[in-house]
Amino acid sequence: MAKIQNRIRKLRFDRYEMTQQELAEKAGCTRQTVIAIEQGKYVPSLELSFRIARAFQVPLEDVFQYE
Amino acid sequence: MSPLQKRSLYALLIEIIWAAAIIAVFISQGGAAKWDTNADFRLIMDGMWVGGLILYWWLFSSINQRPNQFDERDKTIIEKSAKVQWMAVVLSLVAWVIGLSEHFHTQGQIPVIYLSLIFFSTLIASTLAQSVGILFGYWRMNRNG
Repeated sequence: MAKIQNRIRKLRFDRYEMTQQELAEKAGCTRQTVIAIEQGKYVPSLELSFRIARAFQVPLEDVFQYE
Repeated sequence: MSPLQKRSLYALLIEIIWAAAIIAVFISQGGAAKWDTNADFRLIMDGMWVGGLILYWWLFSSINQRPNQFDERDKTIIEKSAKVQWMAVVLSLVAWVIGLSEHFHTQGQIPVIYLSLIFFSTLIASTLAQSVGILFGYWRMNRNG
């Protein structure tokens, strides 16, 4: 079954161990939503996905993959 | 726990206390028999449900005013909770229709007090169901994704 995977956890640790709270503040969502996305329990909207990618300063496909 | 989830939990506890208080006051003041003759009783009941509604509105509206306290995931859960709320309202009305029809069918009319009781109970069912729906939505999202 196709699923949207993400590399948020790895990207956070690559960015000087950015905390979930820091990412949430940069992306404009709650820390609980970052946790849910990281764990694959919530698929964010396109807009939030772009904001997360922007927080890491990488293209969207570097954060989310459709498999 | 997300801020909305916490609010819903607090709201649920407040709503249970609120509903219990309304029922207790209603019974202690004489119930349906005293409704038409006791203006103070009606005033207390009106004050209780209006006060409860204001508190309920404040609990949920104040969360939108703080940054990073409410996001699209919370919005999705609130939208889904409306289904639970709608179901609770319909079930409450169905129970009233069946109960009142069966109880008063020989008289051909229903006392005016029941208009207020239907309103109070539907309001209580609706607010309780929203909090339950939100908490259930978080639980389901955390469990199933």
